[in-house]
Amino acid sequence: MIEITLYHYLFLGLILFVIGFLGSILCKNVIKVLISIELILTGVNINFISFATYCDGIEFDGYVAALFYVSIGAIELALALYIFYLMYSKKQTSNIDKYGEL
Amino acid sequence: MNEIDNSLVFYPLSILLIIFAILTVCCKNIFHSLLCAILVFFLTGVLFYVLGSEYNAIIQIAIYGLAVPVILGLAIMFTNPKNSTQKEKKEISNFDYTTLLIGGIFAMALVYLVMMSLVTMPDNFIILEHISTNSFQTLAAISNCVFVKYVWAFEILSVILTITIIGLTIFKHKGGLQK
Repeated sequence: MIEITLYHYLFLGLILFVIGFLGSILCKNVIKVLISIELILTGVNINFISFATYCDGIEFDGYVAALFYVSIGAIELALALYIFYLMYSKKQTSNIDKYGEL
Repeated sequence: MNEIDNSLVFYPLSILLIIFAILTVCCKNIFHSLLCAILVFFLTGVLFYVLGSEYNAIIQIAIYGLAVPVILGLAIMFTNPKNSTQKEKKEISNFDYTTLLIGGIFAMALVYLVMMSLVTMPDNFIILEHISTNSFQTLAAISNCVFVKYVWAFEILSVILTITIIGLTIFKHKGGLQK
């Protein structure tokens, strides 16, 4: 059985990042774009925590950075959904292409 | 921590993560997309636990696995997804292939950067193969970072959160976006 190293986790984080990135570009639905951005943040968090586990076994700065990004992600999502709510009240569509006036 | 080398856990977990992440992006029904996203967030929490960060696993499952899907679910219910799905089906013919091309180029650039960083890794870059700390030490170290070392960052974060709440409230009282 192959030993799991840091690179396995980094590659998994990269794949999640790319999937989220492509989703945020290609999807037309605003909510799906927001979910894709959360996927990007999840991929970044996997990188932070795997680096903290494999490279920094004493101070765990990567864990704290991941916590910070989770908090920032939650705030960003709340703000984006509120703006989406206001725009939806005006446009009556969730298609991101119609939100050019923002 | 001791399970860090356990490939029996890592491979099924990562395969499921990737499959559900792809389904999140590809599902046409937004509810199915949200359900797949919830599974991705839960599996990520399990992955964090396998990596030895129980604290982050709990936070990940509590915030991304439970709180965020509730907000997103409310937003989906508010937007009447049946109409959105029909509109998306109509507009799928206008799919812009240039965005796919640009995304593919960025993805290839990312893969290239990661591969180059692996090749050009400095000799003094230390990778710990075996972690000797236990859960209590991990928690103590994280608490030390949050409440002592990086306390200013979290204070700024709390200020940003407060400003966001106040700003949204004022924005709403002033009538939001002008029609």
